[in-house]
Amino acid sequence: METAPRQIVAFGGGGFSMESGNPLLDEYVLGLCRRERPKVCFLPSASGDADHYVVRFYRAFPAERCEASHISLFRREQGPEDLRTHLLSQDLIYVGGGSVVSLLGVWRAHGIDQILREAWEAGVVLCGLSAGSLCWFEEAVTGFHGAPQRVEGLGLLPFSNCVHYEPTSERRLAYHAMLRAGMRPGYAAEDSAGLHFIGCELSRVVASRPAARGYRLDAAGDRVIEMRLATTYLGDAPPVTRLPGATSSSLSATSAA
Amino acid sequence: MVSRILTLGGHDFTSRPPDRAVSELMLRLATERAGKRPKICILPTASGDTSEQIGRFYAAFGERPCEPSDLSLFRLGRRPMALRDHLLSQDLIYVGGGSMVNLLAVWEAHDLSAILSLAWRQGIVLAGQSAGAMCWFESGITKSSGKPEIEAGLGLLHGSLCVHYNNEPERRAAYLEAVSNGMPSGYGLDDYAGLLWEGEGPPSAVTARRGARAYRVTSSDTGVVESPLPARFLPAPAPAALREDIAEFRRIKSMRKRAGWLG
Repeated sequence: METAPRQIVAFGGGGFSMESGNPLLDEYVLGLCRRERPKVCFLPSASGDADHYVVRFYRAFPAERCEASHISLFRREQGPEDLRTHLLSQDLIYVGGGSVVSLLGVWRAHGIDQILREAWEAGVVLCGLSAGSLCWFEEAVTGFHGAPQRVEGLGLLPFSNCVHYEPTSERRLAYHAMLRAGMRPGYAAEDSAGLHFIGCELSRVVASRPAARGYRLDAAGDRVIEMRLATTYLGDAPPVTRLPGATSSSLSATSAA
Repeated sequence: MVSRILTLGGHDFTSRPPDRAVSELMLRLATERAGKRPKICILPTASGDTSEQIGRFYAAFGERPCEPSDLSLFRLGRRPMALRDHLLSQDLIYVGGGSMVNLLAVWEAHDLSAILSLAWRQGIVLAGQSAGAMCWFESGITKSSGKPEIEAGLGLLHGSLCVHYNNEPERRAAYLEAVSNGMPSGYGLDDYAGLLWEGEGPPSAVTARRGARAYRVTSSDTGVVESPLPARFLPAPAPAALREDIAEFRRIKSMRKRAGWLG
């Protein structure tokens, strides 16, 4: 049997949650599925399974395009009884934004953390924005609960991660400080930019706005090295051709404090 | 200040008499602690911080002599709050119903369990219904995953609790079986029945609806025994609309008095 690659697309922000009318990132992740009409399951746990968020998901992922479902861990009596079977049968699992701390707490209580690892290893594409990006990494910077703080994610990707990485954001400064203090190297993404990992390698950075960027971050002693990554704007060309993994030649280093 | 917890088998924040009676008891307990206009905070965590649960809480307490607030862990992004400071400044912390598993998992993730234990030791009244009642015990019977299952709570109260005792036969059956299999003995609470725990002593039972009962559930040689507890009936206060009319009447009367219209 042909084994599907392990894939994660981590959005700094964007998709239906944040970019009403701009389906580029959502279309990109649907395009990674190996089925014409893929099975997509939405996990809105980080929002406390907010009803309005679930409704917006179903609007953005209509029945013509895919077979959409969601799992509400606050209303288990309504959803699929066997979470594992349901999640492992998906082509794409889409994780919504909100509180990453609460997300991880609830997932662990229901064993979703283990199931998602299994799903990833089985080739189910995992994606999400904001909290739904941070959760896949070993370490992450959350700014959801006031001052930015470090959280430990599921650890599928052995990097750190920061989302909503805008040049003047408090998160960016906090991330740099954490890197200097020994946080492992990692990746950051601005709103509308998505980091596409195949296995544990960054394959490419895609964006639903031409100016949105992803970054690679590392610390050398007291210095933070922030490399702006070459990013493919998804509005220019159909998002089908897969670029080779990002290498140093495709990176353009910019100054870092 | 003596530690107090009010655990309820089930209620809502509507304007119906039994719901008003429950809200009134909470207001009284909070006011006793505060000695003045009390602070009452809802933790709607078990519901995923639904607007509905929060809205009903404000509808019940918004017009009463208290300062209501909500601490919504899933909404901190839009409204950051200092969790510890806010909770420890309250007179009563009310925990809403929903998923007991998620409630405890999210609290643990935010280190809220320790803060709530501290609040309890400081005499801040803790209250809650359904998941928000079972969470204070050693264990309860949750339907967080669909089927009734045993779930461990924070253990501030000894023993176990089963809620919605009259309304959910499958939950009650699961509880009786669990107790016969060695789950710590405890209590069954119908909707609108409650237990008020004060200090170390046994709880006193209250009921806001005729026929709603609290049971002591224990395991014996002959099987599990359910003994109904004598309960104090909680009368419903005047409905909000009537209270407003009375308040309005008093305002007009005092204005007239000031204006010298009345003697």
